[in-house]
Amino acid sequence: MSDFVLEFVEITQTIGDGLFFGTTYALIGIGFSLIFGAMRKLNMTYAAAALAGAYVGLAAFTFINAPAPVVFLISALASGLIGGAVYITCFRFIPINNHLAALMASIGALFFIDEIVVHTTDGSPLTFPALFDDVMFELGPYGIRGDLLFVLAVNIVSTIGLIYVLYRTRLGLATRAVSQQDVAAQLCGIDVHRTNAITFVLAGLLGGIAGSMTASAVGVLSPLITVPLTVKGLIVSVIGGLGSIPGAIAAGLLVGGLENAFLYFRGVNERDMYVLLLLFVFLVFRPDGLFGSSTDRD
Amino acid sequence: MSRTKLAAAAMFVMVASYFFMLAHPVVAAERTVKIAAWGAKSGPLRSFGVNSEAVLKGAVKAINDSGGVKLGDGTMAKMEFTYYDSACNADQAISIARKVESQTQALAGIGPTCSGAAAAMYGIFQKKVDDKSDTGLQFPILTDTAIRPGLAKKSQWTFRNVPNEITMYDALFKWLRAQYPDVKTIYGGTETDQAHSRITFAAVIVQKAKKYGFEWVGGGIEGVTGKIIAGMKNVLKVSKSSNWLLADTNFSVQARAFKRSGADMMIISSHPFTTCGMLKEMRRQRIRPKVLVGLTSSSSAEILKGCSAAAEGIYIPTGFAPITPAAAKVAAAAVANGGSADLHSAAAWENAHIIKQVVEATGVMAKPETLKADRRKVRDGLESLVKVDGLMGEIGRVQDEGESVKPYVFVQAQKGAWKVVHDPR
Repeated sequence: MSDFVLEFVEITQTIGDGLFFGTTYALIGIGFSLIFGAMRKLNMTYAAAALAGAYVGLAAFTFINAPAPVVFLISALASGLIGGAVYITCFRFIPINNHLAALMASIGALFFIDEIVVHTTDGSPLTFPALFDDVMFELGPYGIRGDLLFVLAVNIVSTIGLIYVLYRTRLGLATRAVSQQDVAAQLCGIDVHRTNAITFVLAGLLGGIAGSMTASAVGVLSPLITVPLTVKGLIVSVIGGLGSIPGAIAAGLLVGGLENAFLYFRGVNERDMYVLLLLFVFLVFRPDGLFGSSTDRD
Repeated sequence: MSRTKLAAAAMFVMVASYFFMLAHPVVAAERTVKIAAWGAKSGPLRSFGVNSEAVLKGAVKAINDSGGVKLGDGTMAKMEFTYYDSACNADQAISIARKVESQTQALAGIGPTCSGAAAAMYGIFQKKVDDKSDTGLQFPILTDTAIRPGLAKKSQWTFRNVPNEITMYDALFKWLRAQYPDVKTIYGGTETDQAHSRITFAAVIVQKAKKYGFEWVGGGIEGVTGKIIAGMKNVLKVSKSSNWLLADTNFSVQARAFKRSGADMMIISSHPFTTCGMLKEMRRQRIRPKVLVGLTSSSSAEILKGCSAAAEGIYIPTGFAPITPAAAKVAAAAVANGGSADLHSAAAWENAHIIKQVVEATGVMAKPETLKADRRKVRDGLESLVKVDGLMGEIGRVQDEGESVKPYVFVQAQKGAWKVVHDPR
């Protein structure tokens, strides 16, 4: 192959890898978007709760030798429970219009959860079970990681499931009603707090899947990744459009792909600078993101 | 009871107490040799602090079980330590150093964990002793973990007992040259946001490899002559796409750069979390170099917990392995105290014993009124040390620089354990 073809393959492979890894960002971004869509509030604890759920799953793997699918399931359930607890502690009793208090409470909870994990594990990286870890599909000069394909499949299934819940069930109807006009929803007999709590649990379940998928894709779980994953989730949900699930998916893939491209062309020291520049560009020129709507709640 | 009898009884108690105190000076004096230690007990690098504290706890217990520390007037005093959390944060390390110096009776400090925190913290100490124009802290520090080369010379109050990476990598590449005469090219990457990983990679490892005939792929790097630091900027420039950050989770681009290089020897200069991430990605991409070399900090239990299969075969020089009776005892004590002894934490044991040795040699009194003078004696004692006994053998001290020259071995990850493959002691 000529140098040009080799370079082309290298660049496309780099961007492709990033797109696949972006599926993990998308899963985190969806969780941020779901809660923002429901309550118009940012839950900064989301990624920490997702990873804490993954740690619970890992405990099941370590102590009862649970197989990988069970580990993922336990991670999701644990993260769902943590999500419910976060709602009660950081959002339930804070007046709905006091956005700053809820934001600060969730930031506090982020570091609290992270520190619990640090103290439990002493901060050591721990091997996380992976499905298809060693599988590599080779298509000509290209290689695709089997575990990231699996993450993509889980991402698609989770998103379809979430959309089904939101648009085909009474719970989804209640969630959408609360997100559009909580007072009117309450007058219609919808229990706003219960609906919000269920939304948090639902987002938590998704977060647990995201956390365990991310840990599985990295192969190692460490508290080191909590804050970067929170930042990536926020970037993805802003670029995708806060509250937009399709936007979070598209932005997750976009950020993953661009991140790898910036790394390839500019090196690791400049990579994050360009990603943050992208966020800045969106905030200035398209503050509603890729798919966000400029209309606010009634 | 009459007044006379009461007075006689009181007199008896006083006289008895006097003779009891004469016979039991330790109890009477209640003097202790206090040490302040600090390191990362929170945050993602907590394991470093946990391990150091566990080892220090074992060391202090061993010292006290053997009678304690002999003070200048012959009194045997117990050693005590307090461990503070500096979270691998420069601000916290500085704040603790100030507090310990001004508000405690500690004779010496041990810590902090991270090189970045140590570099910043050393800056607030008095640079030259007896310099009246310098109001920096006058408190001796004997650091156990922060390993980045050349830090301690920032102040005459700061000392370190950490492995000398320059010496270790020099010996490692010399040994590898003899073991692998057909290996010619090298390639590698580092965590660029971690000063220790980055500087050791770009200023020491690549240069030492070059010194023994291992050339960076593509004909070498401009300016890299084999001399320490030479060509450092260019090393980081040519490896820009094969480097990563401490919290990175995706290593596909870096691993492909490694693969594309086709180098015989590959170097991963990073801490355990990203070393594991990178090794796992290399395994996925079926990258199998003839020789794999890691950073000293990765010769720890974390690698074995996180990615032992992917780490199989990696060579790392280390200043600690449980291969002597003393080292084995420390390893067991660390485990008993909830930690693990490795090249970083094991130094805490040596440090406690070095401080004991210095206190005994310099006639420290360990009284509140002699605190300032005692600290100065400890500093002078540390400065004058030429060699001390360490867990792996004799430790040389580099006067004027506050550094140490520790014995070392080369370990290799083999079937989930670190095996000593070469012992140059």
